[in-house]
Amino acid sequence: MRQIRILARVVIETFLGIKRSGWSNWLVISILAIALTIFGSVLQLTMSLKNLVNLWGSQMVISAFLNDNYEPRQVARDVSQYREVRLVEVITKDVAWEDMKKSLNVASITNPLPNTLHVTVNRADQVEALAPKLKLLPAIEAVRYPMMVVKRINEFRHFVEIAGVVVTGALTAATLTVIGNTIHLVIQARQKEIEILSLMGVGHFYIKCPFVLQGAFYGAIAATLAMLVLLTMHLYVIQPYLQQELASLSPILPQHWGYNIAQTFSVMMLLGVAVGAGGGAWTSGRYIKI
Amino acid sequence: MIRLQHVSKSYGGRPALKDINLHVALGEFAFLVGPSGAGKSTMMRLLYREEVPSSGSVFIGGVNLNRLSPRQIPLLRRRLGIIFQDYKLLTRQTAFDNVAYILRALGVDEKDVKKRVTSALNVVNLEEKANAFPDELSGGEQQRVGIARAIVNGPPVLLADEPTGNLDPATSLEIVQLLARISERGTTVLISTHDNTIVNAMRRRVISLRQGELFSDVDSGVYDVELSSASV
Repeated sequence: MRQIRILARVVIETFLGIKRSGWSNWLVISILAIALTIFGSVLQLTMSLKNLVNLWGSQMVISAFLNDNYEPRQVARDVSQYREVRLVEVITKDVAWEDMKKSLNVASITNPLPNTLHVTVNRADQVEALAPKLKLLPAIEAVRYPMMVVKRINEFRHFVEIAGVVVTGALTAATLTVIGNTIHLVIQARQKEIEILSLMGVGHFYIKCPFVLQGAFYGAIAATLAMLVLLTMHLYVIQPYLQQELASLSPILPQHWGYNIAQTFSVMMLLGVAVGAGGGAWTSGRYIKI
Repeated sequence: MIRLQHVSKSYGGRPALKDINLHVALGEFAFLVGPSGAGKSTMMRLLYREEVPSSGSVFIGGVNLNRLSPRQIPLLRRRLGIIFQDYKLLTRQTAFDNVAYILRALGVDEKDVKKRVTSALNVVNLEEKANAFPDELSGGEQQRVGIARAIVNGPPVLLADEPTGNLDPATSLEIVQLLARISERGTTVLISTHDNTIVNAMRRRVISLRQGELFSDVDSGVYDVELSSASV
């Protein structure tokens, strides 16, 4: 009970501190909200690209051409043992030759085609890893796969990730500075009170914790605002654009890009609260000497 | 209750206290006197562990303050009541809330807080001003709130650093007599002051400092400002 009463007092002190901070609360929350909106956008874009690559990649097939000396179904069973492999389809040389004759009207010559396996992977980024492994099998003479599309998208995703980390890092540093300055102002305004509390024997936790909670409060409010901005953009800008402007591309675009809003919001909330509380803890540790 | 053993303190090579040996027993009432710069405030700061001695040891209730970790300092201060010249009251809080603050911060339940604060305000005869804010009180009343705050947690030691420095002579005497009454209940009281009127009126133990040294230590003494010393 005693601990609960102390916690309740700490919460009361936190809200008194927020009330005393006045307009500077909104300055901190605005800057943190901007940083989190950018972070959330980058995260969302990265996740969407990743999902896009995976959706395309999961439909992507590695063609493995077999030596004539091997039995294709046995090779297919061996290949299906790889953990990256989702599906293996056997196209025998006879079936392939019949298809070719039908479509190209070729002359009656001996079937020159090899037995072929169509190997489907679980994820797009596994294509480049699996193809060389298959090439090493004695039964497989050559492999082919549409590498460039996946590679380019992965490169772009990688660029977005790095740019996102740099921009978010810079904004987080700026936010920490603003949180630090705001809480420093509150500490200065309460300097006499803190000195009195310290001399009366009030513990470090009771004196410093309200500043940590104040920072966490800024983070939570900023994350909520950033979420609202992203949700609005998603519902009223991005989705209508995809549906209307890119309608002509819809046959080749995946139907579900896998927007994982809840996951993005959770990460934004965690980051916001962590940055806010971290800023509060750092500032109170630096400026409150008990 | 309070013991100093060969305590010296210097600031940047300038000595503020030199080889002080002192013992104040449980329930004793004593004045710490001396002119400005004699080392009274330095000694007080050592006693509530605001500072540590350059050499020697300070004990309160048998605890060596030199060995306290930062986390233990609040525990020490809860066993001390500290009274300041400038009262150090929270201006946005009423007299009652100022006295109650420490109890609430320690998680004491509100019913007990009310009982103990009312009792402390009764001791300083200020129960009728419980809802007044500090700027609605006179200097003497503000200091009595400071004393109520210092005693509310029932500390065995009261340290008063120039408690009458901002008060008129009559009020000063009232405050010191109040502290003497509190001492009669078993609390050790040490008052630092350079006000010879109140010291001479009380005729209690007088510990005199001069230029950082223990100049004299006399029971039932007086404070002769001219000599900056105490004599029987």
